[in-house]
Amino acid sequence: MKKYVCTICGYIYDEAAGSPDQGIAANTKWEDLPEAWVCPICTAPKSMFNEVKEEIKEEAEEKEQKLEIKLNLSSLEMSILCSNLAKGCEKQVLTVEMALFQKLADYFKAHAGKTIDPQFETLRTLVNENLSDIYPIASQTAKELNDRGSLRALVWSEKVSRIQSSLLDRLLKEGSDFIEKTNVYVCEICGYIYVGDEVPEICPVCKVPGFKLHKIERGQ
Amino acid sequence: MHAFRNLRNCTKDCLCLYVCPTGASDTENGQIDFKKCIACGLCVSACPSHAISMVPDTFAPQQRKADTMKQEMMKLIQNIAKQEAAAHELAKHSDDKVFAQVAAALEKSNRYMAEDLFREAGYMLPQSKNTHDFLRSLKTVTDGLFPMEAVDQLLTLLDQND
Repeated sequence: MKKYVCTICGYIYDEAAGSPDQGIAANTKWEDLPEAWVCPICTAPKSMFNEVKEEIKEEAEEKEQKLEIKLNLSSLEMSILCSNLAKGCEKQVLTVEMALFQKLADYFKAHAGKTIDPQFETLRTLVNENLSDIYPIASQTAKELNDRGSLRALVWSEKVSRIQSSLLDRLLKEGSDFIEKTNVYVCEICGYIYVGDEVPEICPVCKVPGFKLHKIERGQ
Repeated sequence: MHAFRNLRNCTKDCLCLYVCPTGASDTENGQIDFKKCIACGLCVSACPSHAISMVPDTFAPQQRKADTMKQEMMKLIQNIAKQEAAAHELAKHSDDKVFAQVAAALEKSNRYMAEDLFREAGYMLPQSKNTHDFLRSLKTVTDGLFPMEAVDQLLTLLDQND
């Protein structure tokens, strides 16, 4: 029996288990799945799946799934939650607690499931899907609830996503020449990416002073 | 509560040394001695460069979040986490140095965005019930390499405020 992994969301189709929720019986071979069958998680078509080949990778996936079941968060999501809480401790000058949360964040990052064969194009698609499908609805909800905090985070993050999208567009269309002779900075508060020679005085998205934008070094 | 010196703003005018009744602000490492500080606040008002502030040790509960809002924030966090994962691999494996650099920037950018969304999804404060529930749920992790002592220490060190 073989397994196939969705390259978009990481869902694994296991021939042995089938997909009962979709009416696919156990022991249904990949070849026997209808052509119109789609990933039950993200609705990607069959063509977006790859066969899972390595034993070790399977073990890692299984471990990751076990953690997910118990906590309902993926390993990487837990890493993000912990690094956020580390920053929360840092702001309160709780240095011991900060280091402990960072330790947890590092553990979860190291144990996160791997994206198989990632492409810049798929990354752009993900960003664009958020922009078209999620931000408008989430922002509307925040407005209706008069939740200014959520609206603030959504406005910043939507702007940063637009910048990510246009950066990826340009990179895929023109190649990397426009970055070759200049610098790349990332704002540690909102994630804004700036391409240019000198760091801006304040972040144009969240308005934090420029010293919170960090230069991303280029490998040798 | 205790005073905290932001070293980025401190211009060594030393007024804090003149007003501090316990000598807590006069240290070799530039930071205030939190153990000596009695939270009188004199240094905060005396500092001409506004480099000292009082760090509270109790916090109000975070504003309550509606379930629908939390769900939509979580959906976004899940997608952005996938973006971080993809960018992480691209940064490691891109042959072109500039492409790898952009991927590294995208990896960080996605991390910072998702952290901020988590804050607004109910995880702003390390002292919150949400954080404590999360830490308690980590007690079920069975991996021998998992730093369980970090979870135990955090549950002991952090008070719950709601």
